[in-house]
Parts: sequence; C-alpha cells; structure tokens
Amino acid sequence: MSIRFTVNGQPQEVADTRGTDRLIDYLHDDLNLTGTKFGCGIGVCRACTVVMAKAPNPAGTQIVSCSTPLSLLAGAEITTIEGVTPKEGLLPIQQAFLSHFAFQCGYCAPGFVMAAQLFLEGLAARPVPVDQLDAAIARAIGDHICRCSGYVRYAQALKEVALSVLAQGGDAT
Amino acid sequence: MSASRTKPGLAGAITADGRLSRRSFIASASGLIAVTVLGLPRAASAHSTQPMTFPPGALGKPGTATQRIDGLAKVRGDKVFARDYAARDMPGWPAAQWHALYLYALTTDHAFLGLDLSGLTKAAQPRRIVYGDDMSKSLRSPKLVRRRDLAIDEKLQQAGQTGKQRQGFDRPTGQEFDLIVQPGATPNYLGQAVALLLFDSAAACRAAQREMRFRDSDFQAYAADVSRSENMGEIFPPQTTYVKYDLNGQQFSYASADPENYLAEVPGWQGRIAAEIAAHPDYITQPIACDMQATDPMFLEPEAGLVWYDAETAALNIVLGTQSPDGDVRDLAGMFGSADSPVKVEAINLTPCSPGGGFGGRDSSPFTLMLALAAPFAEGNPVRLALDRFEQFRTGLKRHGTIVKGALTAAPDMSLKLVEMNFAFDGGGRKNLSPYCAALAALCAGGAYQLPMANIFAEARHSQNISGGSQRGFGGPQAYFAIETALDDLAAGQGWDPVALRRANLATETSTTVAGGPIAQELRLAEMLDLAAAHPLWRDRAAIKAGFAARGISYGTGLALSLQAYGTSGDGMVAAVRMAPDGSFSVQSDAVDMGNGSATTLAVAIGEYLGTNASSIEMADYDLFGQTGLTTDDPEKQRWANPRWTAKSTGSSSACLTGLHQVHTVKETARAMFEGSILPAARRLWQLPDLVSSDVAWVGGLLVDIRGFMPPLSHRQLAQDIYASLGTDTPLPTGALGHAYFQSDWAEADFDTAGGRLRLRLDGLACYGAEGAAPKPIPRQNTIGPDALTTRYSRYVWAPCLNVIGLTVDRANGRVELQNVLSVLNAGRIHVPELVSGQSQGGIAMALGYALMEDMPEGMEGPANGLWNLNRYHLPRMADLPLATSYAPDLRAQELVVLKETPGDGRAGRGIAEAVMCSVAPAISNALFDAVGRRYASLPITPQKILQGLAS
Ligand code: FES
Ligand code: FES
Repeated sequence: MSIRFTVNGQPQEVADTRGTDRLIDYLHDDLNLTGTKFGCGIGVCRACTVVMAKAPNPAGTQIVSCSTPLSLLAGAEITTIEGVTPKEGLLPIQQAFLSHFAFQCGYCAPGFVMAAQLFLEGLAARPVPVDQLDAAIARAIGDHICRCSGYVRYAQALKEVALSVLAQGGDAT
Repeated sequence: MSASRTKPGLAGAITADGRLSRRSFIASASGLIAVTVLGLPRAASAHSTQPMTFPPGALGKPGTATQRIDGLAKVRGDKVFARDYAARDMPGWPAAQWHALYLYALTTDHAFLGLDLSGLTKAAQPRRIVYGDDMSKSLRSPKLVRRRDLAIDEKLQQAGQTGKQRQGFDRPTGQEFDLIVQPGATPNYLGQAVALLLFDSAAACRAAQREMRFRDSDFQAYAADVSRSENMGEIFPPQTTYVKYDLNGQQFSYASADPENYLAEVPGWQGRIAAEIAAHPDYITQPIACDMQATDPMFLEPEAGLVWYDAETAALNIVLGTQSPDGDVRDLAGMFGSADSPVKVEAINLTPCSPGGGFGGRDSSPFTLMLALAAPFAEGNPVRLALDRFEQFRTGLKRHGTIVKGALTAAPDMSLKLVEMNFAFDGGGRKNLSPYCAALAALCAGGAYQLPMANIFAEARHSQNISGGSQRGFGGPQAYFAIETALDDLAAGQGWDPVALRRANLATETSTTVAGGPIAQELRLAEMLDLAAAHPLWRDRAAIKAGFAARGISYGTGLALSLQAYGTSGDGMVAAVRMAPDGSFSVQSDAVDMGNGSATTLAVAIGEYLGTNASSIEMADYDLFGQTGLTTDDPEKQRWANPRWTAKSTGSSSACLTGLHQVHTVKETARAMFEGSILPAARRLWQLPDLVSSDVAWVGGLLVDIRGFMPPLSHRQLAQDIYASLGTDTPLPTGALGHAYFQSDWAEADFDTAGGRLRLRLDGLACYGAEGAAPKPIPRQNTIGPDALTTRYSRYVWAPCLNVIGLTVDRANGRVELQNVLSVLNAGRIHVPELVSGQSQGGIAMALGYALMEDMPEGMEGPANGLWNLNRYHLPRMADLPLATSYAPDLRAQELVVLKETPGDGRAGRGIAEAVMCSVAPAISNALFDAVGRRYASLPITPQKILQGLAS
C-alpha cells in the first residue's frame, strides 16, 4: 500500500511504511524543497507552515509540516513556499513584506507568507468589515513566532495588502 | 575529488587564479593552513547567482534602500541558511552524507561510563560511536582564540613580554574542558557532549533521535559513586575592577592609573571612598539587589551545518551560519593544525551562510567545533549536524544568569556620589565570552550618569550550567536593570521626581565613565529626557492611571535610560568596493548580517560617493584582510610607524558594529574609489586635468560638472574608461579595498593614488586592477593612529536610549500587558530608517520576553534535561506587543522618536542594535512599581512572581 498526495501540483507516492515520517523531512530530504523552515519541531513556532487542501477543506488550511505525518496526507494537495511563489515576480504579500522591511533574518518569512497568503485568499472570497481586520490578521498570523522583528512590520504589511484586497473586491494574487 | 568551484564575484566568476589569490593563511603548529571563504553554491535566486543582490528595479536612490538586499531570496524561500544545505547541494562534494548526533551529559556529579544502545531498534543504530577518548587531545580540547574583549591589549603585552603563544593565552589549562567527555571522567557541565553518534542515513539518525528523546538515562551509564566535577566555581579570568575617585582635585581610575600598579592601589582608594561616605552622614544610600535568570537567544534557525574532510586535497570544507567566521576558522586551525591531529588539514574552505538570527548566540558558538569534530570520523563522507530545538536549548549559548548587589549613594541635593556594584555572572560550562560580558556590565554600571565615585567588580564563574556567551547587550541589560530600578527606588524613598533625579546627574561630553575614560561624544541625554517628560504617555500618566483605575484595572508607568557602549576596545574592519565593466558596483565586507540589515546598509552606504548603491554585496569576507598587505605582527614594536602594521585585522560580527564602524569603512573605501579612480577617469574623459571633487556631483545617476561645461558621464562610460585604461601605462583601479581601525578615533594616513595623494581615515588601502588579479596594496604614509593607552578607556562610543512603558497588571492572575511604549533613541545619522525602527521593534519584543516571559531554570530542571522547547519557553507573540507606531489614547502603540542628526554626529551613525533593548526591562519593573507598589527585581517577572509580590 502507498500514500498518494501532491506537493505543489506534483504527484507523490510513498510506501505506507513511511507513514510516521514528518512532512517537513519529506519536503527537505526527498524533494530538496528547503523553503519550509524548521524552528521548533513541535508545532508551536509555525515556521514550517504549508497549506494543505484536502476534503472537507478544499480551499486549504495552514498546517505545521513538522507535526504532520505522511499518513495524514492521503489525497491531500500540499502547497509550499516554492509552490506559492510565482515563476516570475512575487505575490503582493511577498512584495509587501519586502517593501515594509517586515522581517530581519527572514527565517520565519516563508511561514508568514504561507499563512498570510491563505488568509488573503480567504478574505477575497469572504471579505470582513474593515474594523474587524486587525482581529482577523491576529488570527491569521498571530501564532507565528518571529524572534527578530517584533511583528509590527509584518502586521502593517499584511494589513496594507488586505485593505487593497478588500478595496478591489478581492484578488490576492 | 576537489571542493574547488567558481566563486560568484563582481561580474561572473573569479578564475582559479583569482580564487587562489583570495586565500589567506593561518600559521598552525603543523604548518600554514590556507583559508578560503566561498560564496553560496548554485543559483540561489532566479535573478542572480548571488543571494544578496537588489533585484532589477529595486536598487533605489543612492543612499536609500527600497528593501533588504537579502530580502528577495528569503521571502521566496531560496536556499540561504546553513540548514537549507545538504552535501548534494555542494559542488564537488560527494552526494552521500552522514549525519551526526551528539548525546549530552546528564550530571556533573558522577563519572560517565559509556553508552548502552541495545535499547535502540535496528533502524536507529548508528554506523559509528565516537567517545572522548577516541580522539587526540587537540581535537577533544582545542586551543581557542577569543578576540572580543576589553582587556586584550594588556594580555597581548604580557604575552609579548613572556614570549608565550597568543592562542589560548587567556585560558588556564584547568578550564580547557573536553568537547566530549572521556569515559571514566565526570562531565564538567550540562550541555557537554558525552558521545558522538554517526549515521549513514537521515532516517536512521532521526529514528535514533526519536527513540532516545526524553529517555536519555536509558542509554547513558554513570557511576553510582559520587565524583563531583572539578573546577566548579572557578573564575573565568579576567575579573573586572573599576574603582574611580574624582573628588577634591584627586583622581584615580582604571583608565588613568598605571596599569602595573592599578590593582595594588585599588584598596587604598576604596578606603577613601568609604571615608568620604562616612564623612557625610546626610548622604542617602539606596541598596541594589537584583537577579536575572539565564535566557536563550532563541534565534529561529537552530544551529546546523555541513562538514567534509577531503583527504585528497587535505581540505576541511565547512558550511555554517556564524557571527564570527574569523575566530571560528582560527579555532578550526588550532584544532586540526596541531601535531596530533588525526587528519592533515592544509586548507579550510568556509562557506558562510545567512544566520537565521544570532543576537550574539552565534558569536564564538561551540557548534562550529562540534560540527568540525565529526569530520575525521566519517570515513571521507560529508557530515551534517543539525540541532533540533530540544538540542539547541540543551547546548546553545545563553545570556548569563546574573546576581547583582550593591548600592547607590546620593546627596540630599539629588547629586549622585557613588555607585557600588558587584556582578556575579554564571558563566556556565565553557568560558566563551563570559568574563568580557561581565566586564561590559561593569562599565555600564554607572548608567547614563556622571558619578564622582565608583566601586565596581564583575566576574564570571564556571558552573555546571549550560555555557553563557555573547548576547544582545553583552552585559548591558543586567547593568541597566540594576541602576535604573535603583534610581526609581531612591527617588520613591525620598519623594523625588524620577525624571528630576536623572536630569540632575546626566553624563555629558565632558564626563568620564566608571572606568575613568572620557565620554567625549555628544549624548543629548537631557534633550531625550525632556522629550519623554513632555510626551503624553509620561506627562498624562496620572490621568491615564486614573482612567484605568476607574475601570478597575491596575496601570503603571515607568521610565528608564541606558547608555549602551558599542564596539570593543579596538575594532578592525575591511571592505572592498568594486566597479564592474557595466558600471555597477559590488561591496564585500567582513561583517555578517544576522538579520540586522548590515548587508543592506553597507550596500547603500556607497551611494553618497559613488552616485549609486551597490547592486550586490558579499558578507563574511573576512579573508579580504589577507589582501590588504597589512599585518598585526610588529616585532620591532613600531606600531603605526610600521607602514604595514595595524592593531587588529577583523573581529566577530556584532549588529552594533554596523551603524558606525562598518559603514565608515565602506564609505571611506568608496571615497578612495571615487577620488582615486572615478575622478581621474572624469578628468581624462572631459580633458580637465585640474578637476577636483568639489567641481562635480552625482545627479540622477550621472556625474555632472556642476559648472555645466561638460556633458554628464554615466557610470557605464566611466567604467569603460577605467577598464580601457588597464592595459595602458596609467591604469585606473577598478575597485578599492580598505581597512579601518577604530579605537577612540580612526587611524588615518596618506595614500598615493591615481587621483593624487588622499588623506583617508583608513590604515590600509589596496587597488583592484584586472578581474581576477589580486589587489595591489598602496603604501601608507604619515599615519596617525590611536595610542595604545586609550584601550584602557574600554569603550569610546555610546548609543543612548530611553524607554517609557505603560502597562496593566491583572491582579487576579498576575498577567502583565504592555499597553504603550515610547522609545527615544540617539542613533546619530540614520542610514536606513526602516532598519533602525525595525531594530527598535525587535528589541522591545526581545526585552519584553527577557523581563516578563522567558523563564528557564538552571541545572537539570532547565533545558539541560532535554525536555525544553517552545511549549515551555514562552516567547512574545504578536498579541503581546503594541503594534501601532504612534501614540494615541486608547491605542496600544510603540512610538519611536529618533533624535535628529546634529553636526556633532559628524555624519556618523551609532550602533543601536543592542541599545534598543537595554532600558526596556528596567522601565517595565519601574512601571510595575508604579502600578502595584512592589519592586520586582528578579527576572523574569512571571505572573507567579507578580502574585507572590501582591500577596506579600
Ligand atoms: S517547526 Fe515550529 S511549528 Fe513546525
Ligand atoms: S525575521 Fe528572524 S525570526 Fe522572523
């Protein structure tokens, strides 16, 4: 028996004897996709955030790849920072993180990008009133740990893009 | 197989010859070792082979950054961190790699006997087990060089006199603990390795890690009898004593005394201080007693790296993210360069990666040694060592736990008379930089104030705890906490206004430090206090408090001031500024960017002189020093009269060295490039042989004749002329390589260049010619350099910072919430405003964690037990911090006021990365005092301590 899933659209198949392997190790070792970062390994810091789309959540949820065994991935579509970054140029949220000098060492950045992008896509589909935006941002990235930046610029950058998504009636790409 | 590969250079690859010329050499017991610093392998990013490159369109106006130069690669998740690399990513390396796993000591009271791995499944069995007695002494217990310190000049003098070797000069043999405990011996400290396991697959290594986690004692055997580790409680030398007496026309201080007799004279002056106090019964004495637990830097990337010993080329190839490439490589040379080294190492090839955070914790980190140690045991295979977070907590350098005792004495007119402080730093296992951190705490003990008398002692001692080391603030956070809380207690006891008390005693340009060295720099502390006092967060504090009280919430306001010194007692820096044939520029620097933004700052620092920013930058290129033609050897003791001598090559990279030191070096080198190459090119192109720099200006990326006679010149035209000149009799340099030395003042000298004689605040200059050729040093003349004596001032430059904190306390559960922060910062010239405010924001968050949250007990209750991770060690998250950036009632904001630059700044910036967190913790404690009337003097001030205080 094997476990089938996709990573950034590429089909993957692994023997179910590897079911207890962590997704993050699979990404790093098997696929050499190292944009997803390892911080704590126990699901707290969220540096390792990727997006998983799988029934009943076809739109995707953020998951911590350090604490996700491959056995949970049957039928899942996984998107990593490498998958979400356009071939040319950047996502608006990536550009905003750059223009706002949001991060410092940048080790947390891919995790913030993944969570923020998922949030923005959700926002485009289901806008929230502007006065609830700060709270919504806090829910989206508030559990992510950044040791360097103090979060101020991350929050500002995400709010700027979120406001433009709301203003445009929603296109986060 | 060879590790050689092309190094991304200015415009393409540097040839094999070019690479060879970039080598520097370190003398070791078994001969010279060639050291090469290599760029990151393979296309790191879609647009460039160099991860630190401004993408097209983002170069920005000269001197201005539109984004971080390293930002694009990081926001895309490109490979830039050491953890991102495996052997297969490294050109010329074998693709298969081994994996290293260290096991760590569980006690310092029983002898370690060995491992019993029979409980591991077959899939988790190591390929090889290495014990401490499987290796030579030089490997197990290498001689280390430590460079960042206060007292190095004296030690070097002593070494010179006694003819002793410099390496390891400040490390008595009793403290040269083994990196791996030998079976039969008692571990010296927790976090010390007891064995190295090597695996030939990642899966096996992970399986072993998983199976052994939280069950160490099932696999390690210790003797039943007690045999306590020796040397416990020993001092890590040097100790620091600052006794100052400056009253009644009599003066005594560390700086002014004869170094030979200083310590002998100290007791006499301490007696005079006591007599002076006794003669004034009206003086008020405020006791000082506070303590701080050790904390973890918790940089987000746990330490990781690759090493490969290539027998064919006798090369040690190493990939890692370090703050101290220079010192690390020297340590490796010491380790493998001795006669008993198990492998012959003739070359060290270092690939430095972007550290995923540092904060000092990657300065002289033992991780480098542990990684390298694995190389000779891996049967020719590359080895990867990647700590998980449990291991990082267990073994990574910590901020020192500290106990501070002392007193502050003032006259009834509020004038401070005496500060007495005793700092006991828990150095933990290895000496590392502990005594130097303690020494800086001693220097900071007088705070931002003029004090006629001081009696300060600081030391770090060896203990069983995890090793302490450099950490953002380097002893400053402990010292400022002590004095700034004592000032508030003194004020409260006397009914004085805390701002008035501070204002009455502020240090100024004419003051001296507690070490007796002159401040000699514009501080503007009074202006900062005035700004804070007039700010609504402070001015309206009673009304704000009443407003919260009306809602049943306890609110308090606290203020604290710090005057953090930055740099060391003498700093050497090196930078190259080079022009490509297309007219673009690149910068190379020995500095490391830990995230603080030095790469970006240095890339835009050339803008003023060269009319554009550097499009790319390489960091950690400390081996550039080898090409300056300079040396630190001075057999004839000529010092600056020896045209090839400098006092220091390069040192560890600290974020606080960017604003002044590194920027100066890059700018002065850019000026040399401008005056020594671009201006003469313009003279030729315009046929104006008398053209001087004041005749021209950069406008819109073009060099213009400001009198309007000549057509503007583009960078490309200038570059074409410069490159065309290379084959002629009058070649112009394509780049400049500068070395600077700062110690109270810059060393300066004349250099004869193609543009004429230049007076530069550099002590070394070399010129680049054709691509790939080594730069040619220009002999320096008429050098003026800092006097050896000024090193006794200890520090020369200061970054004042003031914080006002408004916070609420939940009396039911002890929870504290930061409501508002006002930071006032004197940063001198601001190079990149976003980076300065970013440092402040990050500093506030880190200081908040230090003050309130990061709670890590010592001994086997703490992270040494292998159970510690972010589920117990709590870091500030977004909700813990005010996020708005300007103050308004009913908002949670952190407002930063940066003083406007004055002529007194001399167009120079200040290193603020450490300063921004020094006054936050005491301001929090002072605010708590205001809120609930209790002094919390033991960090971290956890909810439990708050409740205990409330109940007392
Ligand atoms: S690595 Fe920290 S949550 Fe996954
Ligand atoms: S920028 Fe370093 S952890 Fe966020």
